[in-house]
Amino acid sequence: MNSKLLTIKQTAEILGVTTQTMRRWDKSGRLSSIRGKNNYRYYKKDEIENYIKNNPKDFFQLAKIWNMSDLGVAPRPDFYCADSSVFKARSSRLTSELREIKKLSKIYSLIGLIVGEIGNNSFDHNLGNWPDVPGIFFAYNLEKKQIVLADRGQGILSTLKKVKPALKNHEQALKTAFTEIISGRAPESRGNGLKSVRQVVADNEISLFFQTGNAQLKIKKKDSNLNIKKSKINFHGCLAMIKF
Amino acid sequence: MIIFLKKFGTTLSSRQAGKESLAAFEPTLRDVKEGEEVVADFEGVFVFTPSWGDEFLTPLLKRFGQRLILKNTENPSVQATLKLLEQIHKKKFIDASI
Repeated sequence: MNSKLLTIKQTAEILGVTTQTMRRWDKSGRLSSIRGKNNYRYYKKDEIENYIKNNPKDFFQLAKIWNMSDLGVAPRPDFYCADSSVFKARSSRLTSELREIKKLSKIYSLIGLIVGEIGNNSFDHNLGNWPDVPGIFFAYNLEKKQIVLADRGQGILSTLKKVKPALKNHEQALKTAFTEIISGRAPESRGNGLKSVRQVVADNEISLFFQTGNAQLKIKKKDSNLNIKKSKINFHGCLAMIKF
Repeated sequence: MIIFLKKFGTTLSSRQAGKESLAAFEPTLRDVKEGEEVVADFEGVFVFTPSWGDEFLTPLLKRFGQRLILKNTENPSVQATLKLLEQIHKKKFIDASI
């Protein structure tokens, strides 16, 4: 299949709708497909990216297309932390805003921990090695109780392989990052922060979606399993959404 | 000696910042006398992450061992981070708040 074309299933996953909705949109002309030789529906990747840019449902969709796009361009300035100092300032501001919400008095610090670990991981593991755009996408909507973080870095598989060469795919890397304590450290000082992120999510009214490459996981309160599955779309770097 | 962690910031995250904080504080740490207790006071800290903690607190634990005493650790992010650091390094912190 042409890499610039997406199947209906891939497109539906990107847009967060069902394939049934995609077919309806196709009939109504809202989002037209191209028919392949097999008469299956396909969608042009750049058209889908433009569609989301013009009709963004939320930050998550915007981050998704930023993550999967073949062209690495910086996101809009209000969502972009080009270096860790910008991220530090913006995540501190988020903490201050979260502290003002009474309902979150018991978990605001834990949300701050999750944001800090995921955001700083992006910088710590990609500094000097960003494949294209340096820095991260960081946006939040406190009314919707949503925080989105994304990077176009090397991804977990590539960075974890340096300490665990036996890793074969993104799913294994994702599982290792969230479950195994790596104490060897060498050759790089490695964070074990994602393990505490998992614990914090499982113990509190917080949910997490995380994708690296084509592997994604979803964790929520009381989850003992990571629910790792293969995604139909491949991401550059990592994408996380925190809900609370 | 008492180390007031809030003097390093109220949101303590990232390895880089933890490393820099320890390096900046090193000259003060040299004043700790033999046998003297080192108290790490978390009062006023809003967010404390494993990355920062591993770069700042873990070296203190290795250096001062049983003489490192933690205080005002009630904040949930402090609790979660201490739990992880203890798991990683298989060493227990002495917590005066408990």
